Amino acid sequence: MTHARHVFRWDLDKTYLRTEFDSLGDLIKSAVETAADKQAYPGATALLRTLSKGDGYRVCIISGSPSQMRTVLAAKLALDGVAYDEFVLKDNVRNILRGRFRALRAQIPYKLPALLASRANAPAAPAETLFGDDAEADAIVYCLYADLLAGRVDLDTLARILQSARAYPDEVERTLTMAKRAPGGDAVRRVIIHLDRRSPPVGFHRFGPRLVPVFNYFQAALVLYADGVLDARQLLFVAFEMLDSGQYRLATLANSLQDLMRRNRLARETVLRLAEEVGDQARGGGLAARPELPPFDTIARAFTDRVRELRATPAAPWPAEPEPLDYVTLVDQEHEHRRSRRKRGVA
Amino acid sequence: MRPPMQRIVVDAMGGDHAPEEIVKGAAEASLALDDAEIILVGDAEIIGATLPRLRHDGGRVRVHHAAHVVDMDEKPAEALAAKPDASILSAARLVAAGEGDALVSAGNTGASVLACARTWKLIPGVRRAALASVYPTELRRGDKNDPFSLILDVGATIDATADDLVTFAIMGAAYATLISSNRRPRVALLSNGTEAGKGPAEVVAAHQALLEATELNFIGNVEGLDIPRGVADVIVCNGFVGNVVLKMLEGVSETVVRLARYAHKEKLAWRIGLMALSSALAQLKAVTDWQQYGGAPLLGLEHPFIKADGRSSARAITNAIKVAAKASAGDLCGHIRTGVADVAARRAARGTP
Repeated sequence: MTHARHVFRWDLDKTYLRTEFDSLGDLIKSAVETAADKQAYPGATALLRTLSKGDGYRVCIISGSPSQMRTVLAAKLALDGVAYDEFVLKDNVRNILRGRFRALRAQIPYKLPALLASRANAPAAPAETLFGDDAEADAIVYCLYADLLAGRVDLDTLARILQSARAYPDEVERTLTMAKRAPGGDAVRRVIIHLDRRSPPVGFHRFGPRLVPVFNYFQAALVLYADGVLDARQLLFVAFEMLDSGQYRLATLANSLQDLMRRNRLARETVLRLAEEVGDQARGGGLAARPELPPFDTIARAFTDRVRELRATPAAPWPAEPEPLDYVTLVDQEHEHRRSRRKRGVA
Repeated sequence: MRPPMQRIVVDAMGGDHAPEEIVKGAAEASLALDDAEIILVGDAEIIGATLPRLRHDGGRVRVHHAAHVVDMDEKPAEALAAKPDASILSAARLVAAGEGDALVSAGNTGASVLACARTWKLIPGVRRAALASVYPTELRRGDKNDPFSLILDVGATIDATADDLVTFAIMGAAYATLISSNRRPRVALLSNGTEAGKGPAEVVAAHQALLEATELNFIGNVEGLDIPRGVADVIVCNGFVGNVVLKMLEGVSETVVRLARYAHKEKLAWRIGLMALSSALAQLKAVTDWQQYGGAPLLGLEHPFIKADGRSSARAITNAIKVAAKASAGDLCGHIRTGVADVAARRAARGTP
């Protein structure tokens, strides 16, 4: 078995799959949908496929969907041609049988130990990129996981955080055990949060520059291109899938690129390098141009135009030394937020 | 074939509450419109710091940097000459260059109109552009149950010939048909009497031409008191008259509000009376809420321009962007072009100059 250099951990609902669970009707619909009915976000399939084929890359799916949906979700991933190395779902029937109704909705007490267990059981200690969304507590869970591995959160603090997250005692115990077992280090290179609810990106500033909120998967691919995970050709595969979907145009992709630049998530030089590489693809025939899609030189020009439009205006600055995260407060706030959403009748 | 995306250029720096409220309105429009690109023109650093604080779709918003702003109280011609990189001028140029389909601004009206007039062409057959304004009336009209009638010109130019008035009527009817979903808007000339022979020579001549050379639903002349009654859906006049009428109507509305406030303070009985009417007054306020209609269109140029009120909040800007997108998607300028060409053809066939 080859040891993975880089692990990509994906959530499913609202991250990979366009799932609605804002009402009971949505939940029922989601539960009875067939694999063919389920829709992935444009570009997500191409990105996940590209990552799963990468040399030394490992794809792990950790989702809060009930394990009873494994068959249909696995069928959906197979339909999309997505290969994965690990697929973890939540055993909600067990939770119901044990009368642990709090655990049905709980995010942190489920996802954190699942992430730690996956890392603890891996044969090596690779770098990680995590994909989640803004519908749940993914940003908090992923950053907590990253800080735990890096030793920035100790076990006593972790216990307090889990209590704040209303974890059952055995969940606390299991998480602490896994935290001790999981190989440490500053392993989490990037956290990508899909803004399914179109939450204001500034709300994620507190998590620091490692976490990038994205409006779509072209932005995710751009971030991974800047990180050296994808090359220009792989990035274009994602872009083409999005254009093929009919939900995106070249202009929206170029705007997405400009948005990342304005938010200081993508350097001007990176965009110019990308435009050059796209131009190289056009000249070298590295990718077969398709008549229904914009020619490579048009794509390259659209990208450089967006850079030029900003002229020399500086991007939004980052604080030199970000404040350490107060997870107990974050978890309490998240809990309150979920309660108020439930009161308003939103799941 | 997929219909083209509507690209709405927005002057982010124009308006009493710019750029905050303008950017907010644009952010909301990026979520509300199905297939549109909002191009915000202005200080990219400020816009770039504002947008991430708002719910929006980052793929649908584009920022085009412009270093200068024409302030609300500046003299239009002088300001545009002194600030060639002003946001309104850059925005108009983007549309002229084919990078946008329509323009929205809440900034200095004179400068906005001048920027468009200098950078865009007039529709063939149109001699003068007209600024139109909507006014709340007693009656509802069209599929949208629209309470607003359209008055034009309200000040793009001072005087107008009979031919100009006919063109204004065609442009106003095209706008009401498309934006208010009013299939056959009633068009009238504003005069000092309802008889065909009443009014200055150009109004009399326009009356004759509208009857003979157009297929508009022309209902003849109306008087000033007919405007708030909603007798006509499109009221045509020259810019001087239109501006005086509009300002007077606004002044009357403000006076009524002031009198109500005075009554509220002055006597308990009057206060009780006003309280009894409060739900009706709230409904009246909702019906006549100027922020819901978006803005005043400048008609006659080759691209749609929606002039939002200088006081516009984010909601008014969102609505102005929606109107601009509708005008562009519905090819408002194409309809005006066809209407004007039809009249010219009909007149040529009749041998009328």
